[in-house]
Amino acid sequence: MDFSQSDKDLWKQIYHTKDLLHCFNCSTCLSGCPASHGDPPLLVRNLARMVVYGLEEDLLNDDTPWACVSCSRCEEMCPMDVKPFEMILAIRRWQTSNDETRVPTAIVEIYKRGYTQSVGTNTELRASLGLPELQTITKMPEMLKLYQEMLMKTPVVSENDYMFNEE
Amino acid sequence: MELCLFLGCNTPAIRPDVERAIRATMPELGVDLADAEGYVCCPAFGSFPSTDDDSYLASSGWNLSIAEAKGLDIMVQCGSCYSSLRMGRDHLAHDEEKLARVNELIELTGRKLECKTKVRHVSEILYNEVGPEKIAKTIKKNLNGLHGVIQYPCHTLFPSEIVGFEESPREPKALRILTEAMGATVDHYSRELQCCGGAGGFSKSSPAEATEFTKTKLDAIIEETKADFIVVSCITCLMYLDNIQKKLNEAEGTDKYHIPVFDYNQLLALCMGFDPKQVASICTVPRNKVIDRITAG
Amino acid sequence: MAEKKPTGTVLVAGAGISGIKAAIELAEIGYKVLLTDASPQIGGILAKLDNQFPTDHCGMCRMLPMVGREYASQYCMRKGLYHENIEILPFTELKSVEGDAGNYTVELLKKARYIDTDKCNGLGECIRVCPVETADEFNHGLTLRKAVYKPVPHSTPQMLLIDMETCTRCGECVKVCPTNVINLSAEDEALTRQVHAIVLASGVKLYNLKDFEDAKSWAVSPDVVSSLAFERIISGSGTFDGTIRRPSDGRPAKKIAWVQCMGSRNRRQKRDYCSSICCMFALKEAVLAKEKGGDEVETTIFYMDMRTFGKDFYRYYERAVDEHGVKLIRCRVQGVMLNPDKSLSMRYFDSETQEFFVSDYHMVVLSTGQVPYETHQKLADLLHVDVDSRKLLPTDPYDKVKLVKPGVFLCGSLMGLTDISEAVGSGIAAAGQVSRFLSGLDVSLLEEEEIPEPTAKDRDEPLVSVVLCKCSEKMQESSVDFNALGAGLKRLNGVGEVHILDMLCSDEGKQTVLDLLAKSKCNRLLMGACHPFMYRKSLKNLAKKAGFAASLVEITDLSSIVHRGFFDPQPVESGKRDYTRLAYNDLRGHIENLKLKPALHVESLSINPAALVVGGGIAGMHAALSLAQRGVEVHLVEKTDRLGGYAGTRIEHTIDGLTPVSMAKDLAGKVLEHKHITLHKNCEIVATQGSLGAFETKIRDVSKEENFYLTHGAAIIATGGHEGATDEYEYGNSDQILTQAELKDGLATGEIDVGEAETIVMIQCVGSRQKEGREYCSRICCIGAIANALAIREKNPEARIFILYRDVMTYGFTEQYYTQARLAGIIFVSYSLDNKPKVELVDGSPVITFTEPVLNAEMQLTPDYLILSTGVDAEASNREVGKAFGLPVNEDGFFVEADSKWRPVEFLKVGLYVAGVAHSPMTLKDAILQAEAAAHKTYAYLSGRKIHTAHTISRVHDAICVRCQRCVTICPYGARSYDEALDRIIVDGATCQACGMCAVECQNNAAEIMGFSDKQIMAVIDAGLSKDPVAATPD
Repeated sequence: MDFSQSDKDLWKQIYHTKDLLHCFNCSTCLSGCPASHGDPPLLVRNLARMVVYGLEEDLLNDDTPWACVSCSRCEEMCPMDVKPFEMILAIRRWQTSNDETRVPTAIVEIYKRGYTQSVGTNTELRASLGLPELQTITKMPEMLKLYQEMLMKTPVVSENDYMFNEE
Repeated sequence: MELCLFLGCNTPAIRPDVERAIRATMPELGVDLADAEGYVCCPAFGSFPSTDDDSYLASSGWNLSIAEAKGLDIMVQCGSCYSSLRMGRDHLAHDEEKLARVNELIELTGRKLECKTKVRHVSEILYNEVGPEKIAKTIKKNLNGLHGVIQYPCHTLFPSEIVGFEESPREPKALRILTEAMGATVDHYSRELQCCGGAGGFSKSSPAEATEFTKTKLDAIIEETKADFIVVSCITCLMYLDNIQKKLNEAEGTDKYHIPVFDYNQLLALCMGFDPKQVASICTVPRNKVIDRITAG
Repeated sequence: MAEKKPTGTVLVAGAGISGIKAAIELAEIGYKVLLTDASPQIGGILAKLDNQFPTDHCGMCRMLPMVGREYASQYCMRKGLYHENIEILPFTELKSVEGDAGNYTVELLKKARYIDTDKCNGLGECIRVCPVETADEFNHGLTLRKAVYKPVPHSTPQMLLIDMETCTRCGECVKVCPTNVINLSAEDEALTRQVHAIVLASGVKLYNLKDFEDAKSWAVSPDVVSSLAFERIISGSGTFDGTIRRPSDGRPAKKIAWVQCMGSRNRRQKRDYCSSICCMFALKEAVLAKEKGGDEVETTIFYMDMRTFGKDFYRYYERAVDEHGVKLIRCRVQGVMLNPDKSLSMRYFDSETQEFFVSDYHMVVLSTGQVPYETHQKLADLLHVDVDSRKLLPTDPYDKVKLVKPGVFLCGSLMGLTDISEAVGSGIAAAGQVSRFLSGLDVSLLEEEEIPEPTAKDRDEPLVSVVLCKCSEKMQESSVDFNALGAGLKRLNGVGEVHILDMLCSDEGKQTVLDLLAKSKCNRLLMGACHPFMYRKSLKNLAKKAGFAASLVEITDLSSIVHRGFFDPQPVESGKRDYTRLAYNDLRGHIENLKLKPALHVESLSINPAALVVGGGIAGMHAALSLAQRGVEVHLVEKTDRLGGYAGTRIEHTIDGLTPVSMAKDLAGKVLEHKHITLHKNCEIVATQGSLGAFETKIRDVSKEENFYLTHGAAIIATGGHEGATDEYEYGNSDQILTQAELKDGLATGEIDVGEAETIVMIQCVGSRQKEGREYCSRICCIGAIANALAIREKNPEARIFILYRDVMTYGFTEQYYTQARLAGIIFVSYSLDNKPKVELVDGSPVITFTEPVLNAEMQLTPDYLILSTGVDAEASNREVGKAFGLPVNEDGFFVEADSKWRPVEFLKVGLYVAGVAHSPMTLKDAILQAEAAAHKTYAYLSGRKIHTAHTISRVHDAICVRCQRCVTICPYGARSYDEALDRIIVDGATCQACGMCAVECQNNAAEIMGFSDKQIMAVIDAGLSKDPVAATPD
C-alpha cells in the first residue's frame, strides 16, 4: 500500500482529541478484549494504526468496530490513555456519516418508540408480578413527539430523515 | 434517601421479576424509588453513541433532566444504561459547549440540565449507602451453606475514573461483600473479571466464538468452585449467562451447565421473604434448588 | 597561636552503591565521612542481588581501593563496609539542614534498634526464642522472619534490630541474650553534626507489587513475583538454595515469563518514563534461569522495546537470544490467568501471524521499575530549594551531580534513573565535586599515623609469639578450652610464647599486648582475634608498633570458631564438634605457615604530580579544569587545531535545552586562561614509556612536524567520537538522502528547506546493532532523530514524518520526548533486523518499501528526504592511543575500562583513566559526569604522592620461565607484561592483586605468589588435618 494514497489528516476527522496519537502499538488493548475472540477478531490496536495512517478505504469497510462489547476494559488498561473505546465509537460515527448503510436500525426503533424494543406493553405479566403500569414514553404520545422533534435536529436523524418517516 | 429509578428496556420488558425485586427490596433498606416518567433509551452504545454526539448526548440529557427536575440522583441496574448515562453525563459535565447544545435540544421539554444529578449503580448504593451490616440485619432468611460466585458488571468497573466506585477496578469487592452479608460463601475463580460476553455486537457477529468465550468462564466456575449460583448486578449479564447455559447443553449434548443466575436484588428479596413467584420467577436455568434452600431456611 | 584547621567532614546521606562509592572516594583522600541510611542496613538494592550483568556474578568489592589493599583490607562488600574514615549510621534519617555553603548543621535522627549493635555478637539467640513470625522484607515476603531479625542475613557484623510493629514485648529475647544488649524501651536518638559538604544519595525504590494499580491484574498467585523477588528465589542465600522453584508449592519452575514495563511507560498512571534498568535486568535473569535451571528451562520476555542501550548491552542481548535461547515477544499483556493446576496463562497477539496465542507458565516475573520522585520533594524542603519541572532536585544544567545549592551534591538514582555503572560513576563524580568544593575551604585532611616498618628478623631461627583473644568469658566456658589450647600451642616447635587475653579490640587490650610484646624474644607473631576484615589494619599497626615486620604477622579469625561452638546445641559427648581442636588445628596451620614465611618487602615510589589529558572535547576540557582547580598541573593534548570535539563544534542545541557549542566555547576560554593547564593543539600521542606514577609520553606536533616529551603521573583518555559512516540505503547516491548530522546542519544553516516537504522518513540503527557493523547501540540516535523530527515539525506542521526504528531507545526521562514526538504526529514504525526497509532510487529519488508490523502489510513511502541515523563511531586514532599507553580497545574501537559496572572510569593499568565517548557512545551530560569521575580518580591517585606496592604479590622465576606469556593473557588486572628489550615477564607490583591466576596457569611453576609457596600451603593443610591430641592438662 502506498502512503501517498492515504489521507494523513483522517484521524482528525475521526477522533476529536489527540489521545489516539499517543498509541505506541503495545497491544495491551488486544490481550484482554472479549471481541478479539471473534471471527474476524476486533483488533483495537490495528484500528488505531489504520486511523493514524489514514487508510480510509479499509476502515470504511471494516465491520469489527461494531463487535465491541463496550466493556471499556481497553480504556482502563491502556498505558497511554488512548481511550480506545472512545476511538471505537468515533470510528463507528465516521463510518455512519460516510455510509448510510451503517446507520444502526436500533436508532430507528428508538425514534419510533423511545426504546430499542417494546417496553411496558407486558402489562399482564407485570401485574402478575405485582408491578405497576410503567409510564414509558411510548405511552406518552405528546412526549414522544417532542423527543422525535428533538432528534430531528441532530445530524444522524436529519441527514437520514427518510429512514424515520412513518410508513 | 430517594432515588430516581432508571429501568432501561430489558428489565421491565423481559425480566420484570428483577424490577419487582428492586422495587421490593430498596425501600425496606431505606431507599425510596421514584419513577422516571417518559424516559427514553439510555441510549445504548450501539445506537446514538455510534452515530453522533448530538443525538447521543441529547438522549442522555433527556433522561438526566427528568431526574434533575425531581432533584434526585439516578439509580440504574443495567450495566450498559449505567455506563452510557454516566459517560454521557461526564461529557456534558466537562464540556460547556456540549452542555449548552444539549440544553438547546431539550429546551422543548421545558427542562434544563445543569448536570447536578448523579448516576449511580444499584450495587454501589447497596454497598456505600445501605451497607452490608444493614442488609445482614434486615434479612429474615439467609444464604448460609450456599456457595456463590460473582459476575462483576464490566460497565461498573471500566474506565474507573468515569464509571468506577470500587477502590480498585482490578480488585472489585462490593458484590462479594454484599453477597457474604447474606450468609453465602463466595468462591473466587480465575475468570471472575472476564466479561459475560453478552453485550455489544460480539455475540451477534461471532456467535460461535462468543459462546466459546463464555463457556471458558462457566467451565472455570464449574471446575474451580462449589458454586450453587451466580450473582450478577446487570440485566445483560443475567440474561446472557442464564440463557447461554441451555444453548451450551444442547450443543454439547450434556446437562453440565445448570448454575442458576440471580440478580443481587433477587437474592435480597428472597432473603427478605418476598414471594419467589414475584421476584425470581423468570429464568432458563431452574432456580428451584436455591430458592427452596432459602425459603426452607 | 594558629588554630588547628577543622577536618573536612562530609555527610553522605544514603548508603546504596552510589553513596558508598562517594563515601569511599572521599574517605580515601582523607576526609571524614558520615554515611547514613534511612533503612536499617547499608547496600541498598544491591544487597539483594547475587548476580549482576554482564559477568552474571557479584562484583561489588571491585569498588574498593585496589592499590594499598593490604592496608585498606579487601572484603566482601555485600557483608558490609569498613573504613576508619567512614562513620556509618544506618537507620538514621536526615531531619534538617541549616547553614550556608561550607558550614552546614545537620540534624539526624538515629532510630532505635532496641539492640546495642556495638556489643551484640550477632549470633541470634534472641531470634531463636522470638515467638513472632512475619513476612521477611529481604526475601520479599517469600520467607518469614521474627520480630527480632537480621535485615540483611549475610551482613557482618550482624546488625540486628527489633521490629516494634510486630513485637509482642514478651521479653523472651531479653532473657536469653548472653551479652545483655537488648533494651525494649530504647528511644530514637537525635544527633546534630557540623559538616562542610553534603552528598545526597538516597536512591530509589523499585515498585512494590502491592503498591500500584497495574500490578493488581497480576496478583492472582504467589508465583507471580517481582524481578527483585526472583533475584531472591534464585539466590544461593535466598528462598530455595539457588534452585528455581515456584513459591506456591516449591515445585521446579521450568517455564518462566518476564513482563516488562511494570510501573513505567504508563501515561495513564502518570508515569511517562522508562525505568532504564529493567530490560537488562530481565535478560540477565532469563539467562541465569537457563544457566541455573538447565536447558529444559524456557524463558520468555514480553516487551515493548528492548532497551539495550549501554556499553556491551547489545552483545549481551545477542548472547541471551542466540546462545541461551531466551525468547522475546513484542506484546504488552494485560494480565494473567491462574489455571487449576497452578500454572499461569497469558494471552498475547503475534503480529507476524496476526493471531492470538495462549501460553502457560510456571512462574511470571514482573519487571517492576524504579520509582523516581518519591524523596525529591522531601529533600528539596529540607534544603530549602524547589524541585524542578521534572519534580527532581534542581541541578546544574550540565552537571548532574551538582545541586544548585553550593556545597550540596547528589548521585545515583536521585539524579534520575540510573543503572549500577552510572550510580558508581556518579558517586565518584560527586566525590570529585565535593573535593573541588572543599579545596576552596579552610579545612584539613585526616592525618594517617606513620609507623615505621620494623626490620624483619627472618634470618633468625623462627620463633612465634601467639596472642589469643578470648572475646568474652561467658562464651568461652562452653566452647573452646583456652587453657588447654594455650598449653597445646606452647608445646609446638617454634612457638616462643602464648598470651591469652580479653577484649583485644579495646584500648586496654591493645596496651596489654604492647606491654607483653615489648619483652618478647619472638620474631613472628600470630594473633587470633575477631573478624580480620574489621580489625586487620589496627591489629597490623599494633604488631608494627610492637616491632614485628608486617609480612611476618598473621591474623586469624578465632571468634567465629568460639561463637559457633557456643551456640552448637549438641553436647560434646553426643558428637558435638570439638571446637578446642578446631581452633588448635587452625592456629597450628598459621604457626607452621609463619615459620616458613620469608620476609617480604614493599616498594614505595614517588608519583609525578602532573596529569595528561588526551582529547580537547568537552569531556577532556571538563576533566582538565576539574584537576587544575585542585592545583594539579595538566597537559591537555588535542589532535586538531580547535577545542570542543564533536559535540562542542557540531551540536548547537540538544533536545533538553543544552547548547554544547557555546558551552564548549566557555570551557575553552577557561582552559586557555588557567595557569595550571598547558594546551598542546595539533598534537598526537606517539608512544608512552614507564608506569606506576612516572610516565613519559612522546608527542608529535603535527603542524610543526616535531616531537616532544611530557612526563606525567597519570592520564585521562578522552578521545571522543563522531557520527558513523554508511553506504547503506543508497546513501551518497541522492541529495535527498542525508545523515542526521547533515540534516541538523542543513536545518541550522537553512540549506535544507523542509517547509514544503510532504513526507520525511528516518531510518534508525543504520549499520548499528548488527553482527557486521556497529554491534552496539549508539544511545543518542533515537533522541537525536526525535529532536530533528520535532524541529521539522515546527517548520512544517503538515509534513508526514515517519521514523522507522527497531527499538526506541528513549530510556529514563527521555521517554517523554518519544511521547511528545508521537503527540506531534510523528509516526513510529518498527522493523526487524531480518526484514530491513528497502530503498530504491526512482528518477533519483528514494522510494522506501517496508513491512508494517502492526497490520503486517507491505507499505511504500516516497519521501522528500530520507534521513539515516548512522550511529556513533569511535575515533580511529583510539587504536594508536591504546597501543601507545598499552590500553585495551574493544572490537568497536572504544576503550575497555577496568570493570563495566564497578570501575567505569578506570583502566586496569594504574594511573590511567577514561572519560566520555572514548568509553562508549553517551550523552553530553553523561560524558561530563564521567569526566568529573575520571578527574577525581586522577586527583586521588596523584594526591597520594607515593605509591606502595603490596607485600604479597606475584613474581617470576626467570630461570624456569619459558616466556610463553600465558600469565600475561590470564592476568585479570593487567599486572603482567612481556618486556621485549629485557626478554622478561614484568610484574607491576602496584597493580598485582595476588589473586594467583598466573601461578595456576604457569606450567613450569615459574609464577609464584610470594608468601604462598607450596611448602607453606602443604604445612597448613597438614596442620588442619592433624589428629594429634591437644594437650589436655594445663600448665
